[in-house]
Amino acid sequence: MRTKFKALAAVAAAATLLLAGCSGSSGGGGDASGGSDEPFKVIAFTSGNQTPVGAWWVKAVEAQAEELGWDLTMIQGDFDFQKMNPAVESAIGQGADVILDGYTDVASIGSIVSAAKDAGIPIFAMDSGTEPTDAFAINITTDQQGIVDSTLGALDESLGGLDGKNIMVIGHDPHAGIRLRAGLAADDLEAAGATLAGGEIQKVASPATGRTEALALVADYLTANPGGLDGVWVGWDDAALGAAQAITEAGATGKVTGVDAVSESIAAIEAQGAFLATVEQPWPAILDSLMEHVLAYQEDGTMPDENFEAVSTTLVTIDNAADITPSDKLE
Amino acid sequence: MTTSRNLGVEDATDVRAVPRRSVGQKLLSSGTVLALVVLILFFFLMRPDVFLSFTNVKNILYQVAILAIIAGAQTIVMVVGDFDLSVAATSALAGAVAASLMISGWPIALAIFAALIVGLLIGLANGLLIAYVNLSAFVATLATLTSVTGLAFMVTEGTTLFNLPPEFNNLGQGKFLEIPLPVFIAIGISAILWFVLRFTTLGRRWYATGGNVEVSRLSGVNVRRARLLAFTVAGFVSAIGGVLLAARLGSASAVQGEDNLLFSVAAVFLGMTIVRSGAANLVGTMVGVAIIGVMSNGLNILGVNAYVQQVVTGLIIIAAVTLSSLKTRER
Repeated sequence: MRTKFKALAAVAAAATLLLAGCSGSSGGGGDASGGSDEPFKVIAFTSGNQTPVGAWWVKAVEAQAEELGWDLTMIQGDFDFQKMNPAVESAIGQGADVILDGYTDVASIGSIVSAAKDAGIPIFAMDSGTEPTDAFAINITTDQQGIVDSTLGALDESLGGLDGKNIMVIGHDPHAGIRLRAGLAADDLEAAGATLAGGEIQKVASPATGRTEALALVADYLTANPGGLDGVWVGWDDAALGAAQAITEAGATGKVTGVDAVSESIAAIEAQGAFLATVEQPWPAILDSLMEHVLAYQEDGTMPDENFEAVSTTLVTIDNAADITPSDKLE
Repeated sequence: MTTSRNLGVEDATDVRAVPRRSVGQKLLSSGTVLALVVLILFFFLMRPDVFLSFTNVKNILYQVAILAIIAGAQTIVMVVGDFDLSVAATSALAGAVAASLMISGWPIALAIFAALIVGLLIGLANGLLIAYVNLSAFVATLATLTSVTGLAFMVTEGTTLFNLPPEFNNLGQGKFLEIPLPVFIAIGISAILWFVLRFTTLGRRWYATGGNVEVSRLSGVNVRRARLLAFTVAGFVSAIGGVLLAARLGSASAVQGEDNLLFSVAAVFLGMTIVRSGAANLVGTMVGVAIIGVMSNGLNILGVNAYVQQVVTGLIIIAAVTLSSLKTRER
C-alpha cells in the first residue's frame, strides 16, 4: 500500500514538472510574435469597468482583439484591486506578449508592474497616470493643464474676468487625474486673482455620492454666503451636475464647469442654465493611437519613443455641444 | 387564563414603582438629545446669522429627508433584532427601475408602482432567507446588497439615467409653502411607521420579537412571519426613498445614495439611546437623523474639510454605539 502511494506520488510529481516545463516554454514574453504561428497573446485589464467609459473600453478592446486575431484575456476589476491584481498576475504567470491597462492608476498596480517586468512583458496604458513612469511602455492620457486652461477660460469669459471672483473648486483626491487638475485649477485661479470659496479645494469623499455631496456643499455655502459664489470648477461632470443643481435651486447666478462630457452634462449645457461647459476627452482616438503602438511592437518589437503622451482635449460649450458624442455613449 | 406581556415595549401603563434614576442615569438616557441640542447651540453660536435661519433649516431638512426614510426602514428591521445591509442598494435599484421605465415611455405612476414592487420583492426575499431559511441577517442582506447592486448596474447599463419627466422630478424638487416636498413625504412616512410601531398589534409583535424571540414564540407571536413582514416593509420603504432620491436629483445611477446605509444604521443606534429599554424606535432614529444632518450642514457652513467631517461623524457614531451598549448593560 505504502509502495503504491509512493509510486503515485512520484508519477504526480513528474507530471507536474512536465506541465510546468511545458507552460514555461510557451510563456514568458517580451518578444513580439510577429513571425510566429502562435496568436498574439494579450492581457487587458481595467479597474473602471463599472464606469461608462471603462465599459466602453472593455468592449472596444475585445472588438479590436477579435478583428486582429489576438488571444485576449480581459480582466475587469470593479475597483477591487485586492481581486484584480492577483488575477492579472496569475495571467502574467501564464505568459503573454503584451499587457493593456485601461484607466487604472499606476499607483494601484505596483504588484502587476513588478510581475510584468519580471516576465519581460511591456504594458501599454491609457489614462493610467498623470506623469511619465517606466512602469509603462507608454501611457497615453489627456493634458490636464489643457483641461484646466480651457475650463477656466470659459469661466473667465462668462464672468468677465476671474480677478476678484469667488470660485469654489471641487475635487476628489483618490482619482489621480481629478486630483492633479483640481490642484492646477486652484493654483491658476489664485494666480488670476480669484478667491477660492471655502479657502481650499473642497473634497468629495466618494465618487458614488459625488453629486449629492457637491449639491450639499454648494447649497450650504450659498446659504452661509448668499450671492457669494461666482462660479464652481469641478473635476468631473457628475459632481458638477450636483453643484449646478444647488446653484439653480438657490436662485443664484454662478456658473459651473465639469469634465467628461457625459450626456447629462451636454444636455445641461444646451439648457443654458448654471452648467456652462465640460471637456471632451478623445478616448476613441487615444485607444487607436495606443493600438498603433501595440501593432508596431507586434510587427517587429518596436517600442514607443516616449513612455508618456498627453493629448489635447475639446472644450464643450453651447457652441459645439450638439456635435459632441457623449463619453457615456461611445461605441 | 394567561396574559402575555410584550417585552421591550415602552409600557406607559405599568403600575409597578420604578426606582428613581440618578442625574447621571438621566443624562445618559437623554445623552443623544443633549448631543443634538449642544450641536445646534454650537453651530448657532459660530454662525448666528445663518445657522437657524429659515433657509438653512430648510436645507438641513431637505438634505436629510431621504435619509430619514431609509433610516425608518432600517428602524423596522432593527426593532425585530436584525439589520438590513441592502437598504441603500434597494433604494438605488428602485430609483433606477423607475427612471428606466419612465424613459421607455411608461406612465409615471406605473413606473413608480413597479419600482415600489421591486423594493417590496427584495425585502420579501431578505425576509424569507432570514426568517425561513434561517440565514443570518448579515449574510443574507450582504448577499442581497451585492446582487441588487449588480441588478442596478444592469438596469442603468452602468450609466446615469436622466431626462426624467418634469412631473416626476417635481416630487423631489417641488415645494409647498416654500418647504421641499421630500420633507413632507419623509414626515408622512415617519409618522406612519411610528404609528404602526407604537399603536398596532403588528408593532407590538415586532418589538416582542426583538425583545426576546423565544418568549415571543411561546406567547403566541408568529416570529417568522413578524420578521418576514419587517424585512418586506423595509424593502418597500427603501424603495420609496430611492424613487424620491431619483426625483430629487432628476437622475438615477446604480450607486446613488450609497452612504445612506451607514448613516441609517448610525441614526438608529443613536436613537436607541433615547428610550429606557434601549430598543430601536422611530422618534430616536429621527433624532439620530437630525444629528447627522445638523453636523454635516454645520461643518459645511464652517468650511471644515470633508475628511475631518468624516472623522467627526465616525466619532459620533462610536459615541452613540457606546452609549447604546451602556444602556443595554444598565438593563
